[in-house]
Amino acid sequence: MDQRLLAGEVVSSRGGGVASRSPAGDAALAPAAYSREPGGTPWVRARSLGVAFPSGRTSSVRALDDVSLDVARGSFVAILGPSGCGKSTLLRAIGGLLGPRVAVSGSIDVPVGSDGRRATAWMPQRDGLLPWRRALSNAMVGAIVAGIPRETALPRARRLFQEFGLAGFERAWPHELSGGMRQRVALLRTCMTERPVLLLDEPFGALDPLTRRRMNRWLASLDLAGHGVAGEGTPTGSSSAGRSVVLVTHDVDEAMALADRVVVMSGRPGRVIADIRSRGGGTPFDREAILDALDS
Amino acid sequence: MSRTRRVVVGGATVVLIVAAWDAAVRFGDLPPFLLPSPTRVVATAMAHADSLGAHVATTATEAVLGLALGGVVGWVLAFVTTSVPVTAQVAQPIVVLSQTVPTVVLAPLTILWVGFGLTSKVILVALTVFFPVLISTSAAIRGVDAEHADTVAGLGGSRLHQLTLVRLPASLPSALAGLRIAGTYAVGAAVVSEYLAGESGLGVFIQRSRTAYAVDQMFVGIALIAILAGSLVLAISALQRVATPWATSSVRL
Repeated sequence: MDQRLLAGEVVSSRGGGVASRSPAGDAALAPAAYSREPGGTPWVRARSLGVAFPSGRTSSVRALDDVSLDVARGSFVAILGPSGCGKSTLLRAIGGLLGPRVAVSGSIDVPVGSDGRRATAWMPQRDGLLPWRRALSNAMVGAIVAGIPRETALPRARRLFQEFGLAGFERAWPHELSGGMRQRVALLRTCMTERPVLLLDEPFGALDPLTRRRMNRWLASLDLAGHGVAGEGTPTGSSSAGRSVVLVTHDVDEAMALADRVVVMSGRPGRVIADIRSRGGGTPFDREAILDALDS
Repeated sequence: MSRTRRVVVGGATVVLIVAAWDAAVRFGDLPPFLLPSPTRVVATAMAHADSLGAHVATTATEAVLGLALGGVVGWVLAFVTTSVPVTAQVAQPIVVLSQTVPTVVLAPLTILWVGFGLTSKVILVALTVFFPVLISTSAAIRGVDAEHADTVAGLGGSRLHQLTLVRLPASLPSALAGLRIAGTYAVGAAVVSEYLAGESGLGVFIQRSRTAYAVDQMFVGIALIAILAGSLVLAISALQRVATPWATSSVRL
């Protein structure tokens, strides 16, 4: 296998399986089927992934070292680690956002849409809202990029503005919105792509602690991955059981509150040092185990 | 609030200069063939109002068409040179040459090649105008926020999406700022090319006045050039407000 694949070239598709769709009306809004069988094979798969950034003429800085990660369909995975451990790099690698000068080894498989594009949608730490577009128009960027026709995307965007608590701010410029609202518009934009893999890079990392707590409670209630009520259709999803979310954070409580699986990474170069799954029920995570892994 | 203030202060400055000019003529005992008084200039303008209309129209047409042509060429060239590095290397000596050779030298050549009419004047104006637009637009494109480009790429955007969603709108405020600077040169360039060879326009009017030693008429020409250039800059400012509402509304806040 080619050990020096560029990030953009490691996308592979397999099979022609049609992903299951919810019976709800949203099925009509969903883009074409993604080429992965539901269940069975993991939705996102990284195999002994290594990433090194060029530094100077000959040397390079290793950001990731031998990272293997499987993300199943419908799961919400939090990647937890200290600052600078390469967790954002891992997310960018999955999202196909590493530049051509970055040396990548190993492989990443992500689902591919019928248009041949990788079916991931990435949300940056800072909202990335375009200052020349009003709030609703910024949310529509997700649909435009994913090639979803305006007639179906616009009503959906308006509905999501209601559900995200943004009603009345459709025509506001980004600079007129508060930090929390900007992040919600950014997440809404990410959902508008209707892609089955959401990559969230510390979505609330830039917010003050109070707003962040509120936003995390709200995000947990959204049920992005859609494993709560199968078949009902989540507000944000096109298909309830089809979406995977990968969240990058350095906050243990945020990870435990939102995810059903926590992957702990070491300091640079980042390696996976613990993979802790939710036990279900009232206290889903073994907090001590996560903290031990972080301290080791 | 600040806009009213700007208009008031700007207007007051003009009034003050005209008053000082009037006082200098009145109390300095200057003969009118050296420096005519403002009232005399206004009277001369009234007397020539019929022929002046056509001259102003010619110069304004040349300036506006030249601005439009130069602005579009500068903007497009900025996108081409920033997208394909080779084109930047090819364009650089040509662009520098076009800016180092003065209009006075270029005008006779342009007239020789395309004739005395409107076309040669529009080309000369466009040659002056495209440069500030090219420079400010290129800087804006190179300085596009990496966060915006990453966001569109992270959602799965193509190169075309990067262009239409990020780079084109991001370049617009700078392109218009460059055009506003160009707006002050445009009338001057049109007048110079008319002055050298033309049948109509403020340059022709001033040239004729000069040969007739009609200093008051020359001042009429100067005042009209100033008014025309000022109106163009104001019009471009209005265009900025309409075309880039996000930029101006953040300033207004």
